Amino acid sequence: MRPNLLEVEHVNKIFTRGGFVSRRVNHAVNDVSFSLAADKPEVFTIIGESGSGKTTLAGMILNSLPPTSGQIRFRGKDLREIRSRRARLEFMSHVQAIFQNPFDAFNPLKRIDRYLFSAAQRFTECRTSEKAAERADEALHKVGLSLAEVRGRYPHEMSGGQLQRVAIARALVSNPSLIVADEPVSMIDASLRMTVINLFKKLRDEFGVSIIYITHDLATAYYISDRLIIMQKGRVVEGGDARTVLAAPQHPYSIKLRQAVLSVDDAWRDSSFTGGMPAIAT
Amino acid sequence: MSTLRILRDLLRYNGEFAVGLMLVLIVLAVAGCSFFSPYPPMDVYVVPPDVPPSWEYPLGTTSRGQDVFWQLTFAIRNTLLFGIVVAALSRVISLLVGLISGYKGGWVDRILMSINDTFVVVPLFPILVLFYFIMRDEMTWAMLAIITALLGWAYDARLIRSIAMSLRTREFTRQAVFSGMSTGKIVFQEHLPFVLPIVFSTTMNNINWSIGIEVTLSVLGFTDINTPTIGGMIYWANQHTAMVSGIWWWITFPIMLVIMLFIGLFLLAISMNEYIDPRSRLSRLGGQA
Amino acid sequence: MIAELRSIPSSDVVKAPQAVPLLSVDGLKAYYKVKLFGIDREVRAVDDVSLKINRNEIYGLAGESSSGKTSLIKTIAGAIRPPLRVVEGSVRFAFKDGERDIYKLSPHELSAIRWSHLSYIMQGSMSVLNPVRRIKHAFADFALPHVSAKGADFTRLVERHLKRLHLDPAVLQAYPHELSGGMRQRVTIALATICSPEFIIADEPTTALDVIVQKGVLSMIREIQQEFGSSVLFVTHDMAVHANLTDRLGIMYAGRLVEEGRTRDVFKRPLHPYTAHLISSLPRIGDEAPKKGLEGSPPSLADPPPGCRFHPRCPLAIDICRREAPPMVEILPGHRTACHVAQADPARVRPVA
Repeated sequence: MRPNLLEVEHVNKIFTRGGFVSRRVNHAVNDVSFSLAADKPEVFTIIGESGSGKTTLAGMILNSLPPTSGQIRFRGKDLREIRSRRARLEFMSHVQAIFQNPFDAFNPLKRIDRYLFSAAQRFTECRTSEKAAERADEALHKVGLSLAEVRGRYPHEMSGGQLQRVAIARALVSNPSLIVADEPVSMIDASLRMTVINLFKKLRDEFGVSIIYITHDLATAYYISDRLIIMQKGRVVEGGDARTVLAAPQHPYSIKLRQAVLSVDDAWRDSSFTGGMPAIAT
Repeated sequence: MSTLRILRDLLRYNGEFAVGLMLVLIVLAVAGCSFFSPYPPMDVYVVPPDVPPSWEYPLGTTSRGQDVFWQLTFAIRNTLLFGIVVAALSRVISLLVGLISGYKGGWVDRILMSINDTFVVVPLFPILVLFYFIMRDEMTWAMLAIITALLGWAYDARLIRSIAMSLRTREFTRQAVFSGMSTGKIVFQEHLPFVLPIVFSTTMNNINWSIGIEVTLSVLGFTDINTPTIGGMIYWANQHTAMVSGIWWWITFPIMLVIMLFIGLFLLAISMNEYIDPRSRLSRLGGQA
Repeated sequence: MIAELRSIPSSDVVKAPQAVPLLSVDGLKAYYKVKLFGIDREVRAVDDVSLKINRNEIYGLAGESSSGKTSLIKTIAGAIRPPLRVVEGSVRFAFKDGERDIYKLSPHELSAIRWSHLSYIMQGSMSVLNPVRRIKHAFADFALPHVSAKGADFTRLVERHLKRLHLDPAVLQAYPHELSGGMRQRVTIALATICSPEFIIADEPTTALDVIVQKGVLSMIREIQQEFGSSVLFVTHDMAVHANLTDRLGIMYAGRLVEEGRTRDVFKRPLHPYTAHLISSLPRIGDEAPKKGLEGSPPSLADPPPGCRFHPRCPLAIDICRREAPPMVEILPGHRTACHVAQADPARVRPVA
């Protein structure tokens, strides 16, 4: 049997701060385990508020941070063994990242295409610049753009939605099997947000990419996830099928979180219609 | 944008730049005249001594029988060259140390910064004098430049490191990492443009600083007096008690020229800073920082 | 279609137009003029915006990152600094003790109405509170010059105000970092409202907060508004917040107000294609229908398209949209929109999935 795509096993991350006298310990990730199957691409969502450890967890999955204890395996291989530059490049060609702020995701003084070309030359067999450009164009087409639209342009010439799509294309250049996206739409305007969200669905369905979607937003999580875990202060409090968990959360924290979501539909349900005085003033 | 257009824009819209450039150009012109000097720089008693400024000797002559103007052309050339060499060398060191230390962090940072801090706390002047006493005749102009450069990078490396550290946490740095870029590429292509303003303004300041060092050491006689420099000229003037005997032109003109250079470089530094600063550059491009 | 429109209850809920609204913005144009090394740029951040905010209501302002909403509230608050400049139009407040035209006030008069009449709640509570000083000092620094009470009277006043907002006066002894993000934002709100201001500008006050504490902060703002009978201009890009909090809602797009009406009306019966899209593309828990993003990108305010600024992205655009900028017209009672199509036939604008 093929090993799982990703296995996270009893992972802990402890940050210690301060000197000898006042040592402060922050248990950022506390005994987290989950796994993604190799042959079934899915959108796996990690839900958490600030301080839940979700970004730390993402950093460990991306091999940017070593876990304090526990093991993370990608296709059966412990990430700790990936140390040399060659091994890291090989790993990055399979596991890619998308970041939160599209306006900061590209160097404002450089042209955007350099990242696409660099990824093509480092991660694929495209050594010449023509081949790399072809590869970049191919990846851009997957997100509904083309190299002609992007070539030679600076980040400030594009909207947040476009930038995030270029970032996704950049991650796709090496045909990865896993993409970790940390709050990828929280900074994107409402009218452009769904384009990016739908793109993740397309990646899963058409290109077989598994996605770890990290967010605090339950509504988009419901819209695209297959499975999810809910984290609170480093621990996983609840997990399972996304629709089931969000429709009927069991853990007190999940219930609280679910109830805190402001819904447009509920806004007028129990209001008495007096000048739009909503249900919120309880 | 072409360099010519940048120059034109700066001249048109930036008064400090225009004045600074003019002052520096005058100094450069004086230095350039050294190539047409009728007298070799070290020869003495080639003209009548102690002649005040006149038509024949516009800046007068020294008690050693040298023409002050032609002497000055050699002196400012060497002094300026000294400053530029020191600044260039020390910029290279501070850039390497600052960028790599800030980007890499961890033990690399700790080692580089402990070296850095050693250089920050080392008392500069006694060290230079000490070198002079140890090396004596081997203390050539070039040697002094290298030693000064080695002592003059530490503060700016710390400054560059602090910028590199904040750049490291920016998302585009992670984007570069996940695009497979190497440390060298990230540091020198992604991060370097952000520290260039600092490098430019510190270059000017560093030239000024090293010229100051050179002049001070020469005046005290702690340098190779066989190379004519501004400090060397003042040294000889003092040896001949020029001020007391009323040969004011021997000392006044070198000092005036060096002050012109100081002010010119300073004005260039502040005006170019405004132009190169990524934020003002971005707003010209039409973006937001 | 007509019947459907009529089915929305109107007259009794739309408040009778008041003689003088608390805030009247008329034909406001505020541009950024940047001049750097010979390159002139003019960014029309606010372009011909007119709106009125009544007493005793929460007016929501929604818009994307480059829609000009931030520039609009800056000009309303009188915080205009170069390169932002007001080119045309007026902002007038009808406070209880007299009318004020915000651009005709001297800096001294402006600072006199701040806090006491006009107050500002910002997004980042940390930037308001000094991290090394206790909360009580923040109250003394900001509010003391604006109230008549001094010393122990002042402390009593602050404590009474905090109690009225259901906050424990013990927070006065705390340092900002000892409080949670939600509590800090509550304290900032308490700070901004200590003088019972008539007009409160709330600029994305809950955007940086966790979902769990957001609701509490929102209901606090609602309570303050009811307690003092103030008007609140509430700015956020989060449509769900608008749905749950605001009484009336204005939608901005590319520097212009494109739709305005009772919040419920705007949500149930959007009259601008942009609003219609915003609302129908909101993901909801329990709703699995596919949602679409809007094609294209918001225009650059330095070089906006001619005519209606939304036309390049609008599914309903017709010829006139490319040539003429639509005026704001009241189509339904209290419900205005700037859309040629809706003005010809409101039924054509409908939520599309």
